Amino acid sequence: MTSEPQDIETVTTAVATGQPDNKTRRYDRQLRLWAATGQAALESSRILVIGASATSTSIMKNLVLPGIGHFTILDHREVTPEDAGNNFFFEGQKSIGKRRADEAVRLLGELNDSVEGRADHGNVEEILNSNPDYFLQFSLVIAHNLQPALLDKLAKFLWSDSSHPTLMVVRSAGFVAEFFIQFHEHTIIESHSESAPSLRIDKPFPELYEHAVSLDFDNMDPTDHAHIPYVLILVRALEDWKKLHEGNPPKTYAEKQQFKKSIQGMKKKLDEENFDEAEAQAYRAWTETTIPSEISSLFQDPSLSSLTPSSPPFFHLLSALHKFTLEPPYTLPLTSTLPDMRSDTMNYIHLQTLYKRRAEEEKARFKSLISKDVKIHDEIVDLFVKNAHAVLVMKGKKWGGFDEDRVTLGNDIANAKAMDPSGKETAKVATHLVLSALSLLTLKNPSSTPTADALKAEVLCILGPDIELSEEQLDVAVGEVARAPTADLPNVAAFLGGMVAQEAIKMITKQYVPQRGYLVIDMIDMWTGSVGM
Amino acid sequence: MSIAVNGDASSSGWQNQYYHVDQVLDRPGPRTDPSFLAGDGVKDFLRNQCKILVIGAGGLGCEILANLALSGFKDIHVIDMDTIDISNLNRQFLFRQKDVGKPKATVAAEFVMNRVPGVKVTPFYGKIQDKDEDYYMQFNLVICGLDSVEARRWINATLVNMVDPENPESLKPLIDGGTEGFKGQARVILPTITSCYECSLDMLNKQTAFPICTIANTPRLPEHCIEWASVLEWPRVFKDKKMDTDDPEHINWLYNTASKRAREFNIEGVTWSLTQGVVKNIIPAIASTNAIIAASCCNEAFKIATSSAAYLNNYFMLIGTEGVYSYTFEHEKRDDCPVCGGQTMDITISRDWTVDRLIEMLVERQDIQIKKPSLSTPTTHIYFQAPPQLEEATRPNLEKKVSELVDDGGEMTVTATTLPFSLSIRIKYT
Ligand SMILES: [Zn+2]
Repeated sequence: MTSEPQDIETVTTAVATGQPDNKTRRYDRQLRLWAATGQAALESSRILVIGASATSTSIMKNLVLPGIGHFTILDHREVTPEDAGNNFFFEGQKSIGKRRADEAVRLLGELNDSVEGRADHGNVEEILNSNPDYFLQFSLVIAHNLQPALLDKLAKFLWSDSSHPTLMVVRSAGFVAEFFIQFHEHTIIESHSESAPSLRIDKPFPELYEHAVSLDFDNMDPTDHAHIPYVLILVRALEDWKKLHEGNPPKTYAEKQQFKKSIQGMKKKLDEENFDEAEAQAYRAWTETTIPSEISSLFQDPSLSSLTPSSPPFFHLLSALHKFTLEPPYTLPLTSTLPDMRSDTMNYIHLQTLYKRRAEEEKARFKSLISKDVKIHDEIVDLFVKNAHAVLVMKGKKWGGFDEDRVTLGNDIANAKAMDPSGKETAKVATHLVLSALSLLTLKNPSSTPTADALKAEVLCILGPDIELSEEQLDVAVGEVARAPTADLPNVAAFLGGMVAQEAIKMITKQYVPQRGYLVIDMIDMWTGSVGM
Repeated sequence: MSIAVNGDASSSGWQNQYYHVDQVLDRPGPRTDPSFLAGDGVKDFLRNQCKILVIGAGGLGCEILANLALSGFKDIHVIDMDTIDISNLNRQFLFRQKDVGKPKATVAAEFVMNRVPGVKVTPFYGKIQDKDEDYYMQFNLVICGLDSVEARRWINATLVNMVDPENPESLKPLIDGGTEGFKGQARVILPTITSCYECSLDMLNKQTAFPICTIANTPRLPEHCIEWASVLEWPRVFKDKKMDTDDPEHINWLYNTASKRAREFNIEGVTWSLTQGVVKNIIPAIASTNAIIAASCCNEAFKIATSSAAYLNNYFMLIGTEGVYSYTFEHEKRDDCPVCGGQTMDITISRDWTVDRLIEMLVERQDIQIKKPSLSTPTTHIYFQAPPQLEEATRPNLEKKVSELVDDGGEMTVTATTLPFSLSIRIKYT
């Protein structure tokens, strides 16, 4: 597939004016979410989807559109009349009898010329038996309603080595569905957390401190006084407070109120909004800048104690971060992003420059702590430092482990009962177990339609004698699955298509935070919920 | 909804075309309402009688049309006033590079009819305001996938006004979806019965508006420089020439002008993309979130049209940035909702307030947000934005104190040309 031709004129105007090229224009609305780094990761990804069901093609649609690098659809079957009726990536009757993989790849390929698509007519069972390494050419494997014996085999193989591709398991029947992401470990630098990094008002760096105490608040021109950025007001107010309180910041509720009052007392005129802003942000003065516990717990990761030059760059950076926090001022590296605040241009830009300079210095120190044996791109180091307050290491689980792990299963059910006696929480576990029961039954009796009684018996068998599940919730979940055991409903497929693609994008870009455990979905009462985390 | 059986619903199409959907139409589930009539009756209604309107053929609209067609809706209408832009192609999957510049409604309708045999999609390339009540009355259901707050308020108010208690057919369920990045929501509105779009206006994120004095005198952020270029410099330099944010030449001028100002003030970070984002108020949008929300909307339409399962009561909210988090709840009707509440809203102001100040407040308040309101009491015109003669005649009132014109506890009617409703407020003085 070819990329769009560009004549020399469009190329040169683009360079001269800063106007984006066609690719940037096409992807504009998503680049605002995951930027060029995320896009590059997507473009180098290779995704395999097993089976061209309606759900599978819906997932792929939402991955082809944003521009993954390559996808393969592995399917040896032909389009049936049933398939042709519920899949937007078959052409109705015209597709009946043709290869499912060919039709789906052709129609999905139309969505984005820069994505490479391949139809593979191989049989997944044969590949698993004779050439499982086939799966290693992909970065991510997606399986929807795959027969449980094959799924187990696939999951086991992909789990057998931590470098093997991520597996996304998707199951659905009628109005209910679930998915699970199997991975060993997932590290995230850009979690896009909404928590803001510290401005170090309680631990001002020397230049900030000197600037704040050098300002002559009392004799300042009234216009300038109304434009002092709140950061400086707070540093100064805290300094004055500490002098009167044996070096301590405000601690009790009463002290905090008094501190706020003292800020109001610094006003020259009632309408100085910068002081109101300082009062509103006063918590920043008494909140101690420390290492967040989520970050310090990462320093215990076994990867840090067994670091070698070939360890992933993330852990080298984490190790440098650990060392950084062991030195004064015992904080994370300073952020260079200053929020907007009431001020005139000069004061704000001056303050911003102080932060930027200091952040550069701390980044330089941070860089000197990175092991000399590894080379890490400057952009990655910059990103890591910028996001140091919100980096993440997720440990994953093997597919299917939850149903076998009697302790976790029992605990989850007990917790669900305790959390929500009305049964909503229990309904999640029940729905998950019925989907498991459905797979098991289809394996045992491939030709017969599973009945409610058989499904229920299967669930009770998974539960065993000592785990109890609300009969009412179980009957609802069983009834719903028995009503439409082989239905891949268009709206449920589209819903899963969005959900699974979204999580795949998070896994590939290593941005935002993917789902842990099973995400269970009920499109009758319209809820989603996690189990087996 | 009444169901009449006439003919065999499976006569068109091919055998087993609806194999999947029929599984939930041929038998009830444990939670299905007893009024559900499984089998041919419900299929006939869905496939031969039900008429559904889709508003918007963009990110949500494309998904909605495809889902409805596969679910078995066969008489679908779609309205959209936009044409296709290259930046739509990362998610609006019924459009191709060759379609850029063509009307979205027409291209989308044609695509769906080609792809799903037996479905009729009737496009209208234009504004929802071009159509009247008679037009909206013909549908059983309306699904809305719009990014404009104004347009949603308009259709919501129109559908609420259409309800005639004597005629149950006049109540048109409205299913509304919206997305922003990894977040979104879907809701079911039964006009006059459940909370309406206007009831929840205060849930909208407040748009960041930069004060003019910051833009003019004390810029600190790249955004301030961009606003300076578009709000102050453009009208100064080009006088009456209208800015077209879709014209790259115009964005280019704004970008260069903003960059120059930023350099002057040592402000970093003005880029082409940021310039475009600020002046067009761009909201990030991706295929996956649109797919989730559109599917939720169509699933509700399907459940309402078939009674095969209970529909959403009444709000589904999704946040996909950290794992998958969703929240389903009943949004409550507001008694003083200007559209469906009927109760007068109390507004307390100081006796010193001028009419101008009151208007500013009505524009600002999260739960009102009426752009360009006109004010009147049962006996006098206080201020009218249009027509020009009336505007001129009432303009002197802007400087007057409200307390000179309205007694304590007096009522006032607020109207806006863009919205088909009026708001009754009761003025109280502090
Ligand atoms: Zn309302």
